[in-house]
Amino acid sequence: MLRNRVKEMRARHSLTQSDLGKQVDVTRQTIAFIEKGEFSPSITLSLKLAKALQVDVNELFWLEGEKEDEK
Amino acid sequence: MKNDFRLTYPLWMMAFIIMLGVLAFGLNSPITEFVNTHNETSFTIKLEALEGFIVLCTIILYFTLLAIFLVRLNKHNKENPAQKISPFAIRPPEYLEQDEGMTFITRKAVQKVYSFITFALPFLATFAIVLPVPRLLIIYGILAIAFGQYWIYYTEVRKHFKGETE
Repeated sequence: MLRNRVKEMRARHSLTQSDLGKQVDVTRQTIAFIEKGEFSPSITLSLKLAKALQVDVNELFWLEGEKEDEK
Repeated sequence: MKNDFRLTYPLWMMAFIIMLGVLAFGLNSPITEFVNTHNETSFTIKLEALEGFIVLCTIILYFTLLAIFLVRLNKHNKENPAQKISPFAIRPPEYLEQDEGMTFITRKAVQKVYSFITFALPFLATFAIVLPVPRLLIIYGILAIAFGQYWIYYTEVRKHFKGETE
C-alpha cells in the first residue's frame, strides 16, 4: 500500500487542499482522497505534487513497511 | 462538490423509477379475479377508480418532478459551463471524471454496478422463464435492478465524500 505525507507537507506550506489542487491541476477532492490513502496517484501526479510541495517524490510517497519509522 | 448535481443525479433517477413503478401498478393491475373451487365460489375486485386516481396522481407528480429536475439541470449547466449535462446524453451524466482521482472513484462505483448487473439480469431472466410470473412482476424486477444500480453507484461515490474537510 502506498503511504504519503501530503497532508503534513501541505500544512508545512500553509496550503489548503484547494490551493494544492489548483497547483497540480486536480480537484480538492482528489487531494483529499490521496491524503486519506483512498487513491494512489499516477507517477505524473506524484511528481507534480512533489514539485509543488518542494520535496523529493520519495519523501512524499513510499510503500508501506519500507520506511524505518514504520517499523 | 457535495452539492454537485452529478452526485445527486442517481437520486433523481431513483425517484423517477419509483414513479414509474407506481404508474406501472396503476396501468397494469386491474384486479379481476375469478375463483371457483370446492370451497369458494367467485369474487371479482375492480379498483378502476383507484387505479385511475393513482395513474393521474403519478403523472402529475412525474411531470412536477421532471420540471424540478430540468430547472436543477439548467442551474447546474449555468454554474458549470465546462461540465454541462445534456438531458439527452447517452453517456451517464453522473460520471465524475474531472481528474484521475474522480475517475478512480467513478470506476470503483461502476465496477460494483457491473457486478450487480451481471448477477441480477440473468437471475431475473431465469426467474421470468421458469416461473409463470405476471407481466407487472417482471416490470418491477427490471425497475428494481435499475433502482439497485443507481443505489449502488450513489452509495459508493457518496462514501468517498463523507467527512470532507479542507
